[in-house]
Amino acid sequence: MVNFNLLFDPLSIFFLFVIFIISLPSAVYSLGYLKGEYSQGKVTLAWFLLSAFVLSMVLVVTVSNIFIFLVAWEIMSLVSYFLVVFDTEHEKSIQAGLIYIVMTHIGTAFLIAAFLVMYQYAHSFDFLAIKNACQTMPSQVKNIVFILLLIGFGTKAGIVPLHIWLPYAHPQAPSHISSIMSGVMIKTAIYGLIRFVISILGVNSSWWGILILVLAVISCLVGVIYALMDHDIKRLLAYHSVENIGIILLGVGLSMFFINKGMPYLAVFSLIAGLYHLVNHAVFKGLLFLCAGSVYKATGTRDIEKLGGLIKKMPQTAIYFLIGAMGISALPPLNGFVSEWLTLQAFFLGAFSAIGGSKLFLGVCAGMLALTGGLAAACFVKAFGITFLALPRSRHAEEAKEVSFSMKAGMFFLAVLTIIFGLAAVPIMGLLAKVAGASTGIDIGNMRFSLNNLIINPQVGKNIYLSTPLLALALVASAAAGFSVYLLFARLKPVSYKTWDCGYYKLEARNEYTATAFSKPFRIAFSFFLMPYRKTQKIRDSFYHVKSFAYETHTISVFKKYIYAPLVALVFKSASFMRRIQPGSIHLYLAYIFAALLFLIIFMQKF
Amino acid sequence: MVIAKRVPALIRSFRYQSFFIFLVTLSAGFTERQGDLYFVALLILVLKVFIIPVLLNLTAKRINVDEGLGLFVNSQLSLIVALILSYCSWVFSRSLGFGLYHKLLGQTVAFSVLFIGAFLMISRMKAFSQVAGLLVMENGIFLFALSVSGGMPFFVEIAIFLDVFVSVIIMGLFVYRINKLFTHIDVTKLSRLKG
Repeated sequence: MVNFNLLFDPLSIFFLFVIFIISLPSAVYSLGYLKGEYSQGKVTLAWFLLSAFVLSMVLVVTVSNIFIFLVAWEIMSLVSYFLVVFDTEHEKSIQAGLIYIVMTHIGTAFLIAAFLVMYQYAHSFDFLAIKNACQTMPSQVKNIVFILLLIGFGTKAGIVPLHIWLPYAHPQAPSHISSIMSGVMIKTAIYGLIRFVISILGVNSSWWGILILVLAVISCLVGVIYALMDHDIKRLLAYHSVENIGIILLGVGLSMFFINKGMPYLAVFSLIAGLYHLVNHAVFKGLLFLCAGSVYKATGTRDIEKLGGLIKKMPQTAIYFLIGAMGISALPPLNGFVSEWLTLQAFFLGAFSAIGGSKLFLGVCAGMLALTGGLAAACFVKAFGITFLALPRSRHAEEAKEVSFSMKAGMFFLAVLTIIFGLAAVPIMGLLAKVAGASTGIDIGNMRFSLNNLIINPQVGKNIYLSTPLLALALVASAAAGFSVYLLFARLKPVSYKTWDCGYYKLEARNEYTATAFSKPFRIAFSFFLMPYRKTQKIRDSFYHVKSFAYETHTISVFKKYIYAPLVALVFKSASFMRRIQPGSIHLYLAYIFAALLFLIIFMQKF
Repeated sequence: MVIAKRVPALIRSFRYQSFFIFLVTLSAGFTERQGDLYFVALLILVLKVFIIPVLLNLTAKRINVDEGLGLFVNSQLSLIVALILSYCSWVFSRSLGFGLYHKLLGQTVAFSVLFIGAFLMISRMKAFSQVAGLLVMENGIFLFALSVSGGMPFFVEIAIFLDVFVSVIIMGLFVYRINKLFTHIDVTKLSRLKG
């Protein structure tokens, strides 16, 4: 029997909170964003789909029954598909929608398989009954269920190599939807992993955590490297979602690793780090997508090579984008810094107490996380610098205007949250500890993560401290000191000179540094993975005078070329083979029916 | 019936078959002493022996095409296939196991009529044979009902007759339309309609 009870345990409430703090500003933002962009009918449709989308996500995180969970999950996938193809007149939207819906249904198929196996043991769809039944499940079956769940939820979360749909689907949706999809929807997959793997199935073998950690590290690096190479601002953000899901999964996987090793304190601590990064990523990625949407609305292009100089035209959007970019690049004292710091500390503490190979493994993971943080910072220097600084590179960028009030309000709210989640780290950790404790089933009564209300201290007795309010204070103080020195000693009257131009005499937008040029060192450094293709063509009058110079470069997506393209080709081949049984001849169809009838009767005869 | 190469021959053989079914129903009416069956037999006589064949003949004359049925399987081979199908139906009806010997025979005949109807639909090109095949299959089903339980309830029987009658009219119309549209009624060429 299917019951419709809703579940409001700490984990569900936490995810509800995440859903609402992103959906609310996005909805406000869409007031201004949709206006003038779409017809009245489409605006109504957008509101309907938005409400349905939020409602389905709410259902996903609150139901207490795998059957209804699947229904809600499917509604969520379908509604988001309709949102991806919302701009139906674009060829690209349709293609993105197709990739998205195929991938998400493959994921759902794996989930259904996992749930059916669980049902086989529990004879009930209820979470509680399944949890009890999982106690007696043989460990091989548990392993199979884990793999099925990991693939199923991994498709939605965008773990490499299942991330293929993310960079297509997220940029094509309207911006407020991109912000919800990237900020919240892919997090429902993390909810699924925590709920079904940690809470219900129970961590069984140590390789589960290690597998998730390995996948997470790969996701981090692949996501950030592709983000560096991409110059479509929304696609760049979508690749960063892959990276950040990786960081979140580092926390979750580490927690599973520690649960299995019997270290409850570190398990809770890592899960806190993961959940903290989850809510942080929701906030700053939502903010960044909204800013990208504002840029798109103001200029009509998402290609950052055509932008530039927007900080003068759209100062507020620029500041919000800068805050979001600082958050995602993990700069203190903003929220991304806190959660990445916590994740790193979890790795270090784990490496201290672990023995043998796992010591090395955790150390390597921590190193990779640090590398990811650095690359992310570089990527956002590129994104912010090319988009907002210097001179406009095209007429679109020259004619940009600041966006409307409701859009600014949505961005402002999230920008403030980015700062608050950085400064109020200690109380938030306390709340997250309850969530982590409830979902892992570990008693957190005597665990302490902070010295007082200002300072985080991951492990009592070790000299590891972090205090974002004090850091912020120090930053503000040093900035104030610098500014007062400037006031005291600098000339107060601004004098405008021409930019020094190395003797070129006339500098214009065409001389500017481009995103392609900025990312070139990384393209060379990671050439073993990106396999860049470049072509230069010079046409010269004489040896000294080059008349024209053409430069062309692009990178090859390894996953698309070596995994998905052969797979798709195989499917099409087998489909065209199967098509032969349908030649369109009525006689043959009748013969099929007749043969089936004869076969069935003979079958009955024999058995 | 399976050796018929032309449309009139097929219709004629359908008429004979229906006449035999009329006789069977009549005899069943005698042995089981049911008033309904007499009426049903009368309906068969009127509908299947007279009206439907006349209708089919009319359609055939009206569309005025070549009378050949277009055989995928030639007459002799069709006869052999029909024999094999009859044997199969004997085996099947034995395995169904309704007991009594004379009932078994009735079932065998019913099955073989059914199979031969289907075989007609498959192995002939012209749309006429599909119509006739369907009617033959209907005869088979009727025979099966008769042999197993002495006929279906009266109202069901009446409804089925009505159905068959209407379907003949509709199919006649369709054949006519197909001919008008494509200037032939060769079903094999319909595969060109496929996308």
